[in-house]
Amino acid sequence: MDGADLALRNHTYARYVELGRAPSFQELADELGRPIEDVASRMRRLHDAHAVVLEPEGDRIRMANPFSAVPTPHRVLAGGREWFANCAWDAFGVLAALDVDGHVSSSCPDCGAAVEINVHDRAPVDDDHLVHVNVPAAHWWDDIVFT
Amino acid sequence: MNFFRSEEHVARFNAQRSLEPGATIGAAKMCELAHAWWDTRLAPDWRPRSRDENQAILDRVGLTGEFWRLPGG
Repeated sequence: MDGADLALRNHTYARYVELGRAPSFQELADELGRPIEDVASRMRRLHDAHAVVLEPEGDRIRMANPFSAVPTPHRVLAGGREWFANCAWDAFGVLAALDVDGHVSSSCPDCGAAVEINVHDRAPVDDDHLVHVNVPAAHWWDDIVFT
Repeated sequence: MNFFRSEEHVARFNAQRSLEPGATIGAAKMCELAHAWWDTRLAPDWRPRSRDENQAILDRVGLTGEFWRLPGG
């Protein structure tokens, strides 16, 4: 990952928050004045470095962790917008990244019961839910979508 | 990584899907980890952390032991 890769990554995250969604490669190319092929190859390097996660086709962003570019069961209300997160960890991560209080909505995958958690001052308010992590840390990136 | 209502729900979910049980922590602990892990994600001068820096975050919030050991250590 070189300096231009890092600049692309940081621009991508800034635009993600401004737009409320993942920017397309074409939008990034236009904004940065680069050929789309250059953006695509740098995005592939960022993917390989675990700085973003691309869809299998390699032509669009799937995750800009903790944000999910596709709908998931983990939704976060923060900063006047609803965001999708990749998992329970990332749901809190969206609030951490945005540095705001907010609300996490999800569901228990066993019984389907709604999980509604208010977060204030970096902590859940009156909450006793659990989070289960199936995959050991050594293997989180073996299949990040499953993790 | 999912939210669950209780340990009973975790066990039933894993058993029904033949998943190897992992680690269960409270939502408050996960929120603490998330803030330690993601709070610089939008910094304009963000740079990737090293493996040891990431491991130090896990250690600092008390997530220690083999399950929480990152690769390459």
